[in-house]
Amino acid sequence: MNEKDNLPSPNRREFLKQTSLATFMAMMGGVELHAEDAPKPAATNSSGLTTKPPPPLVNFGVIGLGEQGREILKTLAHVPSSPVVAICDNYPRAMKRATAEAPKAKQYQDYKQLLADADVQAVVVATPTHQHKDIVLAALAAGKHVYCEAPLANTIEDAKAIAKAARDAVKQVFQTGLQERSHPQRVFLVPFIRSGAIGTNVMARAQWHKKDSWARSAGDQEREDALNWRLHKATSSGLIGENGIHQTDVACWFLKHLPVAVTGFSSSVLWQGDHNRDVPDTVQAVFEFPKGVQYLYDATLCSTFDDLYEMYYGVSATIMVRDSKAWLFKEVDANLLGWEVYARKDVFYRETGIGLIAGGSKQTALAGDAVSFKPYEFSPLYYALEAFNQNCGQIGATVKDYLDLYGDSDLSALSDKIKALHTYPAADWRDGLEATVVALTANEAAVKKQRIEFQKEWFEL
Amino acid sequence: MKIPTTFHRRGLLCSAGFLALALSLGFSATTQAQTRYSAQPRGNDVKIDGTSSLHDWEMEGTLIGGFLELGAGVQLDPAQPTIAGAQDAKIPAKARVIIPVESVHSKADHLPEVMDHLMQGAMKDDQFKTIIFTLSELNFKGPHAAGKPFDFETKGDLCIAGVTNKVTFPVTIECLDGGKIKISGTAPIKMTDYGITPPAPNFGLGMMKCGDAVKIIFDWTLQKRP
Repeated sequence: MNEKDNLPSPNRREFLKQTSLATFMAMMGGVELHAEDAPKPAATNSSGLTTKPPPPLVNFGVIGLGEQGREILKTLAHVPSSPVVAICDNYPRAMKRATAEAPKAKQYQDYKQLLADADVQAVVVATPTHQHKDIVLAALAAGKHVYCEAPLANTIEDAKAIAKAARDAVKQVFQTGLQERSHPQRVFLVPFIRSGAIGTNVMARAQWHKKDSWARSAGDQEREDALNWRLHKATSSGLIGENGIHQTDVACWFLKHLPVAVTGFSSSVLWQGDHNRDVPDTVQAVFEFPKGVQYLYDATLCSTFDDLYEMYYGVSATIMVRDSKAWLFKEVDANLLGWEVYARKDVFYRETGIGLIAGGSKQTALAGDAVSFKPYEFSPLYYALEAFNQNCGQIGATVKDYLDLYGDSDLSALSDKIKALHTYPAADWRDGLEATVVALTANEAAVKKQRIEFQKEWFEL
Repeated sequence: MKIPTTFHRRGLLCSAGFLALALSLGFSATTQAQTRYSAQPRGNDVKIDGTSSLHDWEMEGTLIGGFLELGAGVQLDPAQPTIAGAQDAKIPAKARVIIPVESVHSKADHLPEVMDHLMQGAMKDDQFKTIIFTLSELNFKGPHAAGKPFDFETKGDLCIAGVTNKVTFPVTIECLDGGKIKISGTAPIKMTDYGITPPAPNFGLGMMKCGDAVKIIFDWTLQKRP
């Protein structure tokens, strides 16, 4: 993919419009950030060359064919050289639905049968969170590369068991499904934020807003109970754990620290009573980071307003991250960076008068408005699965070469060689463990409506 | 003349015993005298240095496998000016060096995977997974200065992309602690000698053409087997 191909070529009329708008936007302070503004991470594959390396061929098996599992199948269909050769679910209707996405894949009702299939080199575990541990441990023991959806588990103990097994599986790739870690836009933003471009961190904020009961229906009660695992505290890690983990992980990644404490709040405002649910439909959490930086997070199933986004406030500028885009909002007393004069600018209305944007949204620096403009072609899940595929191929080849040459008597040397490889950016077992601990603890704090201090040993194996 | 078709039992036993003893002694003498070194996973570096119409390029890897076997009585003593067991300058030795093609990666800051793909493809990595050097001669270029690496000239067969050529290049062998040795050298080659067309990727702004001549530079660490 070439991001530059997604940018329209402005004609003279458009250029004049941009110029005048640029002045206006400079006054507004909104400056868009995208990867072309800085050296691209070498791991991204947008070459811009006429010759592009084909990714390695890795045979996939997907375990768990619910909504996320089917989304994974759809996405894998677009990731080059990542054939799905086997699928698994113990619910026939889920299997039937998934068949449309992977018609040639072998079908298994028992994940152990899929893991015994020698054709499967890599598995994606997309079952309910509380079922991850047994499947992941068995998959690693079977010698498969593993992509495990986030959070790793619904208890810290299970997450540690997964992380430990992944750490010890030197010959295999383990990737946590923290898909933002593989998104080129986020990968670009990390050094940008850490370079001090926004000045000293002041605070951060994120939200996840949907209107969705989370309740799912099925033909029989037993299956319906199983489908609605997210509604019950015994099996669910709640809004922060199941969805917020992706945003809280990015905050820790950008801020380069783990939080020292979290205070949570929760309530059930709209979705009460159905399926005997006891998981709150609205939560807030305040994470305390070092140096007095607070990260405010809220999530709800009761309002769609403003969807999801993240803000990072600094004394010199603020960054807003939405979808695959991000913008910089400079303070009036901030220094001129230089490149921002030529960058694309967009207008934002943050208040309820959003309908008025219809006319204003056309006044953008380049063709297209801020909402429809997509500097990156693919979804975060695509980039994460592409990274997994590439890393399985590259690391798998290195492991084979190493074992052919030296045997397996010194696996620490093999581990060092794998670490030295130029792999695609992806969340590993440590990222997964840390994000899971943060999210589960925040969920606990929200449910109990209390402050919890993180203990160092929670993050250690 | 009648050809005997039967053997006296005692004679047969004696013959068999002598043969077994001779084989045993011979085998024992050979295996005890030879020194075999095996490739180690750490302490290896292989670079492929090349030129192009735009700029020089470099690829690098850390996987080198294989072995070195020094003949009967050959001793590398870093304190001595000569090599015990050498037959004039010739050192009885066998060696096989194996470098996986896909383990050698571009060191470019920008888009290294593109260069990887170009070079690995040019070396037909889908058919020929390894670069192999098989030693035929190891000649000592003495005298050796105490504490310094030993200098040699090697001759052998170098196989790249399925094409084998005779090559000659200098190497040094340095004695390390713990029975380890490090073999270092530079082998200049031409890609076209191995049926490899120097890559000429189209970057859009113009053609970049890689030069035919490249150097394979290596440091290879081996461990003496007990």
